[in-house]
Amino acid sequence: MTEAQIDGRPASLDAAAQRAAEILSRARLPIVAGLGTDIAGARASIALAERIRGAYDHLESDKIFTDLDVMRQAGRFVTTPNEARLRADVLLFIGKDLTKIWPQLLERLAPAAVPEFDLAHATRKLVWIAPGRAAAQVDGLDVTTIDSNDPHVALASLRARVADRPVNSGKGAKRKIDEIAQILKGARFGVAVWGPELLDSLAIEMLYGLLADLNKTTRFSGLPLGADSNAGGVLQASGWMTGFPMRTSFGRGFPEHDTWRFDAARLVDSGEADAALWISAYGREVPRWKKQIPLIALVPSQVKFDHEPQVRVEVGGPGVDHDSAEFAREVGAIVARRASLPSDAPSVSSVIDRIAQHIGGEA
Amino acid sequence: MLILLKGGRIVDPVNNRDGIGDLWIEDGRIVAPPAGRQPDQIHDVTGKIVMAGAIDIHSHIAGGNVNTARLLLPELHRADAPLQKVLPLASAKWSTFETGVRYAAMGFTTVIEPALAPHQALQGHLELSDVPILDKGALTILGNDDFLLSLLREGEKPGAIADYVAATLAATNGLGLKTINAGGATSFKYNVRAFGLDDAVPFYGTTSRKILEALQQAVDDLKIPHPLHLHANNLGIPGNVSTALATIEAARGKPLHLAHLQFYCYGDEGDHGFSSGAAAVAAAVNAAPNVTVDVGQSMFRQTVTISSDVLRQFNAVGQARPKKSVIFDADAEGGGVVPYHYRETEFANAVQWACGLELFLLIDDPWRVFFTTDHPNGAPFTTYPEVFALLMSREARAEAAARLPQAALAVTTLPSIAREYTLNEIAIMTRAAPAKLLGLKDRGHLGEGGLADVAVYSPDKDIAKMFGAAHLVFKDGDLVVRDGTVTHYRWGKTLKVNPGYDKAMDRRLSGYYDHHFGVSHNMFAVPEHILPRPDPFQEVECAQ
Ligand SMILES: [Zn+2]
Repeated sequence: MTEAQIDGRPASLDAAAQRAAEILSRARLPIVAGLGTDIAGARASIALAERIRGAYDHLESDKIFTDLDVMRQAGRFVTTPNEARLRADVLLFIGKDLTKIWPQLLERLAPAAVPEFDLAHATRKLVWIAPGRAAAQVDGLDVTTIDSNDPHVALASLRARVADRPVNSGKGAKRKIDEIAQILKGARFGVAVWGPELLDSLAIEMLYGLLADLNKTTRFSGLPLGADSNAGGVLQASGWMTGFPMRTSFGRGFPEHDTWRFDAARLVDSGEADAALWISAYGREVPRWKKQIPLIALVPSQVKFDHEPQVRVEVGGPGVDHDSAEFAREVGAIVARRASLPSDAPSVSSVIDRIAQHIGGEA
Repeated sequence: MLILLKGGRIVDPVNNRDGIGDLWIEDGRIVAPPAGRQPDQIHDVTGKIVMAGAIDIHSHIAGGNVNTARLLLPELHRADAPLQKVLPLASAKWSTFETGVRYAAMGFTTVIEPALAPHQALQGHLELSDVPILDKGALTILGNDDFLLSLLREGEKPGAIADYVAATLAATNGLGLKTINAGGATSFKYNVRAFGLDDAVPFYGTTSRKILEALQQAVDDLKIPHPLHLHANNLGIPGNVSTALATIEAARGKPLHLAHLQFYCYGDEGDHGFSSGAAAVAAAVNAAPNVTVDVGQSMFRQTVTISSDVLRQFNAVGQARPKKSVIFDADAEGGGVVPYHYRETEFANAVQWACGLELFLLIDDPWRVFFTTDHPNGAPFTTYPEVFALLMSREARAEAAARLPQAALAVTTLPSIAREYTLNEIAIMTRAAPAKLLGLKDRGHLGEGGLADVAVYSPDKDIAKMFGAAHLVFKDGDLVVRDGTVTHYRWGKTLKVNPGYDKAMDRRLSGYYDHHFGVSHNMFAVPEHILPRPDPFQEVECAQ
């Protein structure tokens, strides 16, 4: 039995879809936000956004754009978890939050295991910049660390020393930086690993500069850990459907992308957006905007909102209640996942299809 | 519904037809003139040209690397106005939706994505699913994957390699097999910066030539219709004409398709150390009936190069225009996205342009030279109409050549070539021959029983105008284009082969993946039910 509510009172899925359609059709600028959903849900959401001439955004956009902005400015240099696991003789970890972002990181990359495809088949070296207490989690391997409050500064010093340029720092610090620069230059296939929170765009650009310098003589690649709630998969679907990432609007009848203008929270708080469809099928996230506007929520059961949404539909979890296609961090690609606990809870895409049916117009 | 296309000039080389006649369509197929029945719909196409729907054998329209290019270069595809006829997402430039619309408007009804990486196959098929109107297909890439390289290192029998190729085609739903700078991407991971036909892959010891021979043999053993589709070594490097000639010899008389050959026709003569070797390559192709080629014509404009040949793309990063690029050390294959602007004023770009045209015009047999720009590497597919004009009109070529550095033309044979393609030759190159090359018996012709994929053009002195906007296009008998405008969406099939193999290979792969990658081999499969539209595939038979 599908759980749906209108104004906090139980309703049929169809009645909820119809009410949602009314709210979205009536809006001047509706938004489709959250977008914590699988590929099918993202496809349905983006198609709906076009139909209602709305804008769409993802709840993890800030993290996605930290990496993406650098790519669009300067490019990127990346590899996959499989290559890091099987080939990397040097791992460069940056930030104390890596295992928080991806709890399976150490299991997946297996730093203490000898990389099978490395020619020398030697024990790996692991360098960790600003590890906090996380470096202690690595068993069976000596970790070379630098403590740093500012990864950007650490990366800048490393880049300078890799290029044999001088740095301004104390003798002890300089010795450490030199030691690490030598490890990086001596790598046969090194992989740098980072998350999008502790590193900002400037630091990531510096890191790519370091990788470019290292690749003049050896091989070194990057492994950004990305964000949750299928942000990576929604980014890809958005790319092939509209040419652009999330934070794209159809307000003028064709896709326009702007990371500032079409930030969902900004659109709501500025008064530009006047209705929202909020989607978070992977977790219990709720919107971050302050202003109250008509809200339709597609969320798991028992999510608490400050103000009860006008329409709420409880949706199933992708890969849990129903089969899904989604970005898999463990392989760095979109994969199909079988439902682990199949149920009748509706998928985001099926609910949005119902809403779209009530909106009519050409499809 | 019975449809009659009345009184057009029917150009159908497969059935030796080139003359005025009628064409009948019913239930999505071409049918014999039905005695005593009135058509439900008549299209008077007097004065028009009627051909089968065109087939593009090599165009990068889907998959992770293509999508990376979209995201890297928002400035190249900003939309500024809604399309007149609003079809869902068709106003989104370079989207999968717009891709289908633009191809259909030119009379294309089948397009093959030539670079499906096995570990990213699901995304490739998801993207192909969102290309409207067209039938699609994808060539699966092998040749840098550690499993194959380890089979070769261990000296495994051809049977094991064929089983592996078949298992991979089955898991990825591929139509054929592609290899890209075989061994080059893996060698690059071992810091190799140049990789030729007889260079050995570190760690594995096998050479590019041996990989090529093994895969060619596997395709032959499995009786896959499309020959091994080869992106050769040393793409884009001055003097690589010797690579092209050596690769044609390396085929040893067996079927081999050489992709975007234009990029391998470069001599290193003259003041610039850059010249055309296209005449020598064309002569070698003419002398090797086992070899087919597509051209990869370049045109003068901003574009972006997208390739799994990560070694080549890494070496091209310095030439990026605008200055940004993506290099991806992916599983097995790599990926490189490097934007590029071909300029009329640039000596090398002018030579490249001439090289492509020389190949088209100097290869005698239109059944063996295929029409591509290696979209978007040489130029976007939207330039096809201009390329048709260059092939069909010596005058159009002379006009275009007059704008180029004459010193560049002097290191080519282009100015001396008088040949002009006929409509019949265009129909062979873009319809009949691609269907034959891919083993698609149901299309590429207008004979009874064939798919009613039909393009009708209005003849025009301006050849580009004629091919740019078809008068009518039918897909499976459904009229989808009128005067260059798509009227509605329909959803085509993705073509695939399904050669049988010894299922012991699945167990072997499971073991290899569990041990090396620490993830299940199944994780990379493309289950049909996860794709958005029902019944997405059509199987193409392997020969018995
Ligand atoms: Zn290509």
